[in-house]
Parts: sequence; structure tokens; C-alpha cells
Amino acid sequence: MIRVRQITKTFNSGRPNEFTAVSGVSLTVNLREVTVLKGPSGSGKTTLLGMVGCMSRPTSGRIFLGEREITSLSERFLTDIRRRTFGFIFQRFNLINGLTALENVMAPAYPSGERFSSLRARALAVMEMFDLARKAGARVEWLSGGEAQRVAIARALINNPSVVIADEPTAHLDTRLSHEFMAIMRRLKEEGKTIILASHDPIVHDTDLADRVIEMRDGRVIADGAGR
Amino acid sequence: MSGAIERQLHIIDFTVSSLLRRKGKNGALLTVYTLIVFILASVMFFTHAVKREAALVLRESPEIIVQRTLTGRYQPIPISYVESIGEIRGVISARPRLWGYYYDANFLANYTLVVPADQQPEAGTIDIGSGISRVREAFRGDTIGFTGHDGKPFAFVVNRVLEEESRLLTADLILMREADYRAFSGIPPGYATDLVLKVRNPREYTTIAEKIVKLHPDTRPIVRDEILRTYDALFGWRSGLVIVIFGAAVLAFVIFAWDKATGLSSEEKKEIGILKAVGWETSDVLLMKFWEGLAVSLTAFLAGVILGYCHVFFTSAALFAPVIKGWSTLYPDFRLVPFIDLADLVTLFFFTVVPYTVTTIVPSWRAATIDPDSVMR
Ligand SMILES: Nc1ncnc2c1ncn2[C@@H]1O[C@H](COP(=O)(O)OP(=O)(O)OP(=O)(O)O)[C@@H](O)[C@H]1O
Ligand SMILES: [Mg+2]
Repeated sequence: MIRVRQITKTFNSGRPNEFTAVSGVSLTVNLREVTVLKGPSGSGKTTLLGMVGCMSRPTSGRIFLGEREITSLSERFLTDIRRRTFGFIFQRFNLINGLTALENVMAPAYPSGERFSSLRARALAVMEMFDLARKAGARVEWLSGGEAQRVAIARALINNPSVVIADEPTAHLDTRLSHEFMAIMRRLKEEGKTIILASHDPIVHDTDLADRVIEMRDGRVIADGAGR
Repeated sequence: MSGAIERQLHIIDFTVSSLLRRKGKNGALLTVYTLIVFILASVMFFTHAVKREAALVLRESPEIIVQRTLTGRYQPIPISYVESIGEIRGVISARPRLWGYYYDANFLANYTLVVPADQQPEAGTIDIGSGISRVREAFRGDTIGFTGHDGKPFAFVVNRVLEEESRLLTADLILMREADYRAFSGIPPGYATDLVLKVRNPREYTTIAEKIVKLHPDTRPIVRDEILRTYDALFGWRSGLVIVIFGAAVLAFVIFAWDKATGLSSEEKKEIGILKAVGWETSDVLLMKFWEGLAVSLTAFLAGVILGYCHVFFTSAALFAPVIKGWSTLYPDFRLVPFIDLADLVTLFFFTVVPYTVTTIVPSWRAATIDPDSVMR
């Protein structure tokens, strides 16, 4: 269970361009469920995901991962939790150009110090799952949009995270690929992963896959209910 | 433990692929860097080899040379001085020498004429150094002509071309019989170019020099240490030209490193953000940048040093020859004896590899400490 208690994120605090992107948000994400954050552009979804995923710290409020309070941890621990617990799929894929698909998939595991041969085998196995084995040696900039997306998903899964976070995963995909993405999420859910998606794409939030849909506006939660 | 090593290996591996994918940029970087190290290493090798060569030559040279001066100008010295000077306490031996320079206007070259102490060539013949042999295209049995002090032509038969073992010593040398030399140079009988002394104890140099001057106020004793100092000043680190070249290269390096330090491309920044977002720690990113800087600078360092070595010792510092050496046309294929001073290499290493590595890390530091969520937008 991930519990978020009264978190606020203020950018440029104390300066004229001070801006509160998330204010006083509380919510609970159940494990093994799919939680969807929806809301108009600028409503604070990405900011909230960043804090839940240990990418940034809230200005105030607390976040609990299980029983552990994570907001007060040092950067080192936070990074460690981020690497072990969360797998991120970014809006723009954020693959590293010039490297091969395989190298991109392995990158999150480098600091773990796992043996190269076993890491490589694991990465190839994950890529196999997404039908990417043939593309392992290809540079990522030559991949098609769908392939790039799947490489990004494979990368998110390489450290075998219990929580997968995807921010606007379908923003750069056509309808067919969007459905393909949702099918992959369904598989991951069946494998027992906790999934948090942020999106204003109906393909994502109007799906029967969503156990919870949380709606945001202007940095606040305005609706929190069961999915369709 | 093995995990820590594995982590290093992964990060090195990542660094290498990371460097390889920006071939153009890193290639240019490496080229400039190598060039700078090459210049610095060449200067270093060159000055040291010349200094060492000079020291070797001077070790052979006499401990005290006595010249005679008149109104501050050099004069031939009476051979009769040998006796009185030889009696000074501490002087083992005193011997007159006959030698001088000759400027060959046709070939724009300077020769050194020497009357050897023993084994003088036959009358009318000379032994010549390899440089003269090449410039004048004269070999054993050929006749070459010079103009004597009185403008009269002199012709000599080449008896022998001197061996090449130490070209600095012999390239421009002409060995001549005493009688021939006196006729050629005009030094009258009973006079010599200078006197050379052997001294028992180096600590007595100054006292002996003082005694010589007291005995013969028209003489000027020159102690070997002074000659060494002159060479040092000429070829040492501090000598003018060397410092100019060295300074220029270091300046280029600083500008180069500074340019590197001030700019991380937005692409590089984004990459650092991605790595952090997927679970790299700040220290992992810095480690990667460290390896990156080290890989580039070590490669450049090794390449530059090896190129510099080849340049100085295999091509005889072809690029510098006209600048620093100023040696006559006799020396174009003059080879320095290969010699590496470890302390200098270490110095060079610390002036290039270390600052460069640091300048690759420092700007990354800022990028590495940003919140990883920056890549989420
Ligand atoms: N670093 C920052 N400094 C200042 N303002 C920021 C910063 N990051 C985000 N914001 C602002 O916070 C607000 C919320 O941004 P956020 O990216 O969380 O919205 P979002 O709901 O994800 O929007 P979208 O659906 O367009 O992705 C936006 O108005 C944005 O301009
Ligand atoms: Mg967003």
C-alpha cells in the first residue's frame, strides 16, 4: 500500500513565480491494482507521480511505502527505493540515443553490480516478452514508435519493480499501439504488479482495467472512485 | 565486493559505448588534446635529451680551461704558461690546445677545427665529421678546399670520415695536423688556442682559478661547472623559448578544458536526468563521467607522449629544429639518444590528465544533483 498524506509541491518557493502544482493531496494506492490519475493538462499529475515514485520530494506532507515513511530519506536511500521498487515509463520514452535497445534496457541495473552475463540474459528475456529480441542490437533512434515504447517498458521492468508508473504512456502512440500498451499493462497486472497511470486519454482511463480513477484539477483531487 | 567491481565494469562499459556514439565530437576532442600533449611531450623530451647530450659531452671536457684575453677579447695564449700553471698545487696536468672555428661561406656552415692531442693526421690530410662529409659531398680520398686566414686557398685530402657514434661531438669536426693548422689559422708557433687543466679536487677550482689569474693577469680561467650552467640555462625548462612554447600549449589546454567545463550539451544533461530517473545515484553518474574523462585524457596522453617520443627521437624533433636548435645545416639528421625522465612524465600527467578529468566531472556534478523528475516533462 502506498499512502500519500497531505502532500504539497510548491515550485520556486518565495519568488514571484512561485507556483503550487500539487496542494494537500491525500490518497491511497492499493497494491496489485491499477490506479489511473486523470485531469486536464497542468493539473499536477506528473508532479504527483514524481513524488510518489521517489523522483522528487514534496514541499510538505508525507508518503508511506508500506510502513516506511520515505519523504525524509536521504537521496541515497531514495534512489535505492526508486531503483528497486519503481519502474518508470516516461511520456517521451526517454531512451538514450546512440545506445542499443539492449543497453537501454540494461542501464537501470548497472549500478546494482549484477554479473554482466546474468544481467544480459535477464534483459534479453524481458525483451523477448515484448517481441524485441530481434531488435536488441539496434540503436534506439532507428526503432519505430511502438518498438521504442516497448523498449521503454522493458527498461521499466528490468529491475523487477513491484510498482510500474507510466506518465501519459499513450501520448505519442496511435490508437492501435495505445491498445497494445493497455494489453501489456493488463499482463503486468495479472503478474501482480501495482500500476499507476497518469493520462487524459480515454483509452487509458475509460478501461475496465482501472480499479481506481482519481481525478485532479489545479493540483487537487476532485474525484476518487472505482473504475468502470 | 565482486558486486562493486561488477558495478565499475558496467559503468565503464556504459562509458565506452557512450563515448563511441559521439564519435565526431569525441574524435575532435581527442585530436586537439593529443596535439597539445604531443607538443608538451616533444618540448619535454627534446630539452632533456639535449641537456643530457650536452652533459655527456661536457663530462669529457676539461675541468678548467685557461684563455688569454686582451682588452676583453680572446687572444692566443703563450705555450710557456703551461709550465708555471702546471706547478700550481692541485693541478695534475696542463696541456695546450689548438682549435678554432671556420665559417664556410659557400655552404653556410660552421666547422670546428681541432688539432688532436695524439694521432694527428698526416701532413696535408684531414679527418672530417659526418656532417661535413655530407654537406661537402667529400669522402675518403677526396680533396676539399678551404680559405686560410690570409685568404690563400688550402686543399686537404680526406683521410677518414669520423665515426658517427656521437654526432653532437663529431658532425662538424675537422681534425688537422698541428703544422697545417698553424699555417691555415695563422696562430704563431709558441702559441695555442687555450690551455686545459686537470685538477685533483673540484673544491679547489676557485682557488686554482684565482692563482692562475694572479700568476698571469692576462688570462681568464673557465671552470666546467660554469659551462654546464650555461647549457642548463639554454636548454632548461626555464629557458625563454621553451617556456614560450610550453606556456602556449598549457594555455591552449586551459582554454580547451575551460570550454569543456562550462558546457554540458542539453543532450548530455538530459541523459544524466534519464539515468538518475531510472535509478542511478549521483555517485554513479559522477563515476561514469570520471571514467569518461580518464578514458579521453589517458588515450590522448599516451598517444601524445608516444607521438612526441617518435617526433623527437626518430625524426630528430623535425618540427622544432629550425626554432630551438639553431644548429647549422650540418645536423638535419642529428639523432638524439632516446631518454625518458619519469618525473617529467608524471608532471605532464598531472598537468593534463588530472585537470581534464576534473573538468569533465565538475559540470556533471551540477547536472547529477538535479531532481530526476526533470526528465518527466
Ligand atoms: N519545475 C517547475 N517549475 C515551475 N513550475 C512547474 C515545474 N514543474 C511543473 N510546473 C508546473 O506545475 C503544473 C503541473 O504540472 P504537471 O506537469 O504536474 O501537470 P500535468 O497534470 O502532468 O500536465 P500534463 O497533462 O500536461 O502532463 C504546471 O502548471 C507546470 O507548469
Ligand atoms: Mg504530465
